[in-house]
Amino acid sequence: MTTQSANRQIWKRKLRLIDRCTLRKTIGLLVLPSCILLGSTVGRAQDDLRAHTTAGYVPVISGAFAYIQNTSGGVQSLVPQIVPVLLAPMGHSLLLESRVEFTGFFQRENLPSEPFSGRFAGKVYKTVDYAQLDWLADSHATIVAGRFILPFGLYSERLAPVWIRNLQDTPFTYSIGTNPYGAADGFMLRGIAASLPSASIQYSAFMSAHSSTNELQAIRAVGGDTSFYVPSKRVEAGLSYQRTLEGYQINNEAAYFSWQPQRASVDLKAEYDRNHYGDGYWIEAAHIPQQFPVAPDFFRHVQLVGRMEQFFVRNGGGNGLARVNEQRPEVGLNFQIRDDWRLESSYGRLFSHNGNSNTWNFGFTYRFIWPLWPGRKS
Amino acid sequence: MNDQVRKRWLLALVASGVCIATLVAATGQAVPAATGPAHAQTTAMAADPGEKIFAANCARCHTPPMTLNPRVTGTILMHMRTRARLSRKDEKLLLQYLAP
Ligand code: HEC
Repeated sequence: MTTQSANRQIWKRKLRLIDRCTLRKTIGLLVLPSCILLGSTVGRAQDDLRAHTTAGYVPVISGAFAYIQNTSGGVQSLVPQIVPVLLAPMGHSLLLESRVEFTGFFQRENLPSEPFSGRFAGKVYKTVDYAQLDWLADSHATIVAGRFILPFGLYSERLAPVWIRNLQDTPFTYSIGTNPYGAADGFMLRGIAASLPSASIQYSAFMSAHSSTNELQAIRAVGGDTSFYVPSKRVEAGLSYQRTLEGYQINNEAAYFSWQPQRASVDLKAEYDRNHYGDGYWIEAAHIPQQFPVAPDFFRHVQLVGRMEQFFVRNGGGNGLARVNEQRPEVGLNFQIRDDWRLESSYGRLFSHNGNSNTWNFGFTYRFIWPLWPGRKS
Repeated sequence: MNDQVRKRWLLALVASGVCIATLVAATGQAVPAATGPAHAQTTAMAADPGEKIFAANCARCHTPPMTLNPRVTGTILMHMRTRARLSRKDEKLLLQYLAP
């Protein structure tokens, strides 16, 4: 064996050892507070929330239907989507929640004479986004077990649902911290680390095991997220970290910011993500012209959106990211017909080293909340 | 991408930031949030503590619902408690506000 390969072997062993240590520490970090909390909550009388409210706890099917027509670089895709979310509470502290995504993806077939000019063809993809049991143990801790969305940055956990995102195109950096499956199979601890009247510090820490089970695939990873939130200013800023522990063992990092100033109905959000394969940011502003001088009742339903994003390749890119540098300014015009129905439209211009192109999206989203049985009437 | 192009984009970003800040500053008057339960005014000056929590937390990630069936309010708030990381006390005040 050459000195070089011997050194490589030693380093590999060291890295494996570090990973095992990190894993053990993380397990310790998660299990210890869980035990303390279990001890402190067992036997404690539960708050009788129902004594003061008519709120019911019946199981719920919520979620969204959506239909989006996308045209990117002249190629048209039809994307219908059904995303049911099951919420089944057990008492006031245990919640079973699960989301499954059925997404159709249809494009015109290639004809020998002309590409993408045949009939529409495609298939429906099914994904189990999460299937988790939450134990809302305490204000400071919720313990999550099962399959859950990776708590990384602003986008994947909070903004990705089709009825929530203001622009249908996912940001370039979406795969950073979510590649390859977007979810973890394991445990997560999350809650409020410190709470003052003026601000609170929130956290989550997780560990994921490897799983190759169909629909529930996940890779070994550890990570966490922390943010501070100032309710009076509606400002939040946070940091996320994740280390994948199999395949290419890499760090993923994110920093994010969100602000809904009270003086204007503007929603500002921004995120910067970085890993071994690239880095980039997106910044998005959404505005509802509530005080429009003409027809304010109409304009109250209108949402104007603008987003700018850039991605810079590192080490060849790939792994869910582009292999060339890209940037895309994008604007959107949405119309909230009712609380649950929304019409969507957007236009983006992609500037890429592989060529520039336009992206158009038109469609609608419908969000529903259906109680699974009648329950108590108010 | 060369440095010049990168710089140009960053410049454009800073310029749009300035525009947004100007827009925010120009809309000098406090505007109530676009949505919230039909019976509520979701301003920060809200008197009801539950209303205050609703105004401060429920529009952070998405447009909050205008109305919620009382039957599902408890379930939804359990769900949102993990997302919004609300304390048990906040959850209780919100329940009283949304399903009195
Ligand atoms: C940190 C982000 C965040 C905050 C803050 C938040 N939500 Fe949500 N909310 C979500 C996400 C994400 C979903 C979609 C869940 C899914 O599809 O898995 C959602 C879904 C919902 C739904 C649809 C039914 C359901 O539970 O899936 C309702 C209703 C709702 N939220 C109400 C509220 C209320 C009321 C508040 C204030 C206490 C609130 N939300 C605060 C992120 C948030």
